[in-house]
Amino acid sequence: MKRRSTRHKLTRIGLHIVLMSVGLFFMFPFIWSISTSLKPLSDLFSVEPKLIPSEIRWENYSDVFDIAPFLQFYANTIIVTIARTFGQVFIASLAAFAFSQLRFPGRDVMFFILLAGLMVPDQVLIVPRFIIMREFGWLNTYQGLIIPLIFSSFGVFLLRQFFLGIPKEFHEAARLEGANPFQVYWDIYLPLARPALAAFGFLALLFSWNEFLWALTVTTDSDMQVLSVGLALLQGQHFTNNAILLAAANMATFPLLIAFLFFQKQLVEGITLSGLK
Amino acid sequence: MRPAELATHDHARHRSRLFGLNRQARNDAKWGYLLIAPMMIGFSIFFLIALGASLVLSLTSWDMLSSPVWVGLDNYRKLFHDPEFRTTLRNTVAIAVPNVIFRLIFSLALAMALNTNIRFRSFYRVLFFMPVLTMPVAIATVWKWLYDPAFGPINGLLGQLGLPRPEWLANPKTAVIAVVVVLLWSGVGYDMVIFLAGLQAIPRDYYDAAEIDGASAWQKFRDITLPLLTPTTFFLSVIGVIFSLQVFDLVYVMTRLDQTNTLPTVVYYIYEEGFRNFRMGYAITVAWALLAMILVFTFFQFRLQRRWVYYS
Repeated sequence: MKRRSTRHKLTRIGLHIVLMSVGLFFMFPFIWSISTSLKPLSDLFSVEPKLIPSEIRWENYSDVFDIAPFLQFYANTIIVTIARTFGQVFIASLAAFAFSQLRFPGRDVMFFILLAGLMVPDQVLIVPRFIIMREFGWLNTYQGLIIPLIFSSFGVFLLRQFFLGIPKEFHEAARLEGANPFQVYWDIYLPLARPALAAFGFLALLFSWNEFLWALTVTTDSDMQVLSVGLALLQGQHFTNNAILLAAANMATFPLLIAFLFFQKQLVEGITLSGLK
Repeated sequence: MRPAELATHDHARHRSRLFGLNRQARNDAKWGYLLIAPMMIGFSIFFLIALGASLVLSLTSWDMLSSPVWVGLDNYRKLFHDPEFRTTLRNTVAIAVPNVIFRLIFSLALAMALNTNIRFRSFYRVLFFMPVLTMPVAIATVWKWLYDPAFGPINGLLGQLGLPRPEWLANPKTAVIAVVVVLLWSGVGYDMVIFLAGLQAIPRDYYDAAEIDGASAWQKFRDITLPLLTPTTFFLSVIGVIFSLQVFDLVYVMTRLDQTNTLPTVVYYIYEEGFRNFRMGYAITVAWALLAMILVFTFFQFRLQRRWVYYS
C-alpha cells in the first residue's frame, strides 16, 4: 500500500514536470514576442539574444502606425469582423430554424446540398468569386470583403442541430396563439438558442478576424486591407526592424486573446459542439 | 345516424381538416422559403454558380484581360507534367502527414494529462488553447524571428550548446520540420479540447470495474480509453487531413524569404498561378486537383473506419 502511494506520488511529480515543460514551450513564443517588441534596435542584432530588453522601448508600438496605416487596418478588421459575424449568425439561424421547424417541398434536398457544400474547400471557389466581385465592382470594398463570407452552411448545420433539440410544443403553442413563423423564431427560438448562437458567433468571429486568403484576394488598396494582410505585407518590405514588426503582430492578436478570456466558456462549448455533433 | 350518413359526415370532417392542414402547410411552406431565401440566394451565387463557373473555366486558358480560350482538358493534362505542381504537392504531403499524426498523439496525451485532478489544469487548458486563437499570419511572424539563423533564440541556444546553427527556413528539408513544429504548436489545443470532451463522456464505472479486476494503467488505456475514443479520433483525423492539405497563410508567411518561397504549398500555387501569373484556368484546375485529393483521402478514411472505429 505504501509502495503504491509513493509510486503514485512519483507519477504525479513526473506529470507536473512534463506539463510544465510543455507549458513553457507553449508560452515561450508569446513571451519572446512581447519582449522583442519592446527591445531597442541594438538588442535585436546580438548573436546571443537575451530575453530581457536592455531598455524598454514602448515607441516600437507607436512606430507601427508610422510605417503602415495600421489604424485603418484595425478599423477595417473590426468593421468586417462585426458585419460577417452578425450576418453569419442571422442568416444561418433563419435558415436553420426553417430547416428544423417548417415543412416545405424540397427542404431535405436543399439541406443536403448545403451540407455537401461543406466538403468543397474555398480555394476551388476563390477565382470565380473574385470574378463575380470584379463584375459587381466590389473589389476593394467592404461589401466585397464581407458578403461572400456571410453564408455559412456550417452554421446552418450546427444551429439546426440545436433547434431540433428544442421541444416542438414551444413552436406549436405560439402558432396557436397566432404568431407567424418569423415571430416564433425571433421571440422564442433565438432566446432559447442563446448558448448555441454565442458559441457559433465566437467561432465566426475568430475565423473572420484571422481570415487571410480572401482578404488578400479582394483588396489591393492599403486603405481597404485588414490586419492579417497588412501584417503579411509589412514583411515583404525593406525595413528590418523586427521589434516593430512583432509589436504589430502583438497588436493584431491581443484583442482576440483578451476577448477569449471573457468568452472562454462559450468558445470551448462551441468547439466541442462542432466536434461531437 | 345511419352508417352511410356517418361516413359522409366523417368524410367531410376529414376533408375540412385536410383543407385546414393544407392552408397551414402552404403557409408554412411560404415562410420556409422566405426564411431560407437569404442563405439559399447567397449560396447559389457564391457557391453553386461559382462552382459551375469554376468547372467551365478549368477547361479554358484565361488571363482575365482578353476573353477565355477553350483548351479542353489541356490544363488537366498539364497537371501531370508540371514539376512545380509536383513540388508543391510533395511539400504539402510532407507537411500534412507528420502534422496529422503527431497532432493526434500529442493532443490525446495532453487531454489525458488534463483529465486528471492535477493542479493548475484550467491554466494549462487556456494556455494550450491560446495559439488556436492567434492569427496564423502573426504566429508565422513571431516564429520566423524565433527561427532566425543569425539572431533568433533557437540558434542562440544551439550556438551556446556548441551545436550547428541551421538556416531553418532557407532549406526545404529543415523548413518542413520547422513548419510542422509551428503547426503542432498552433493546432494541438483544438484537438485537445475535443479529446477532453470525449474523455469526459466515458463513464467512470468502466474504469472502476477494470480496477476491481486488477487492470494496470496501461491496460485501462488500451482496453477502455482508446477504443471508446475512436469516434473522436476518427473525426479529428478526417478534419486534420482536410485542414492540413489546405495549409497556406502560416507556411506562406514563414517560408517566403526575399520574394522566393522555400516551401510552396498547393494553395500557394493556386494563388500564385491565378493572381500573380494570371493563369486563371490553370489555377482553378490545380484547385480541382486539391479537391479531388481531399475527397479521395476522406473517402478512404471512411472506408477504413469500419476496421478500427468503435461505436458503442
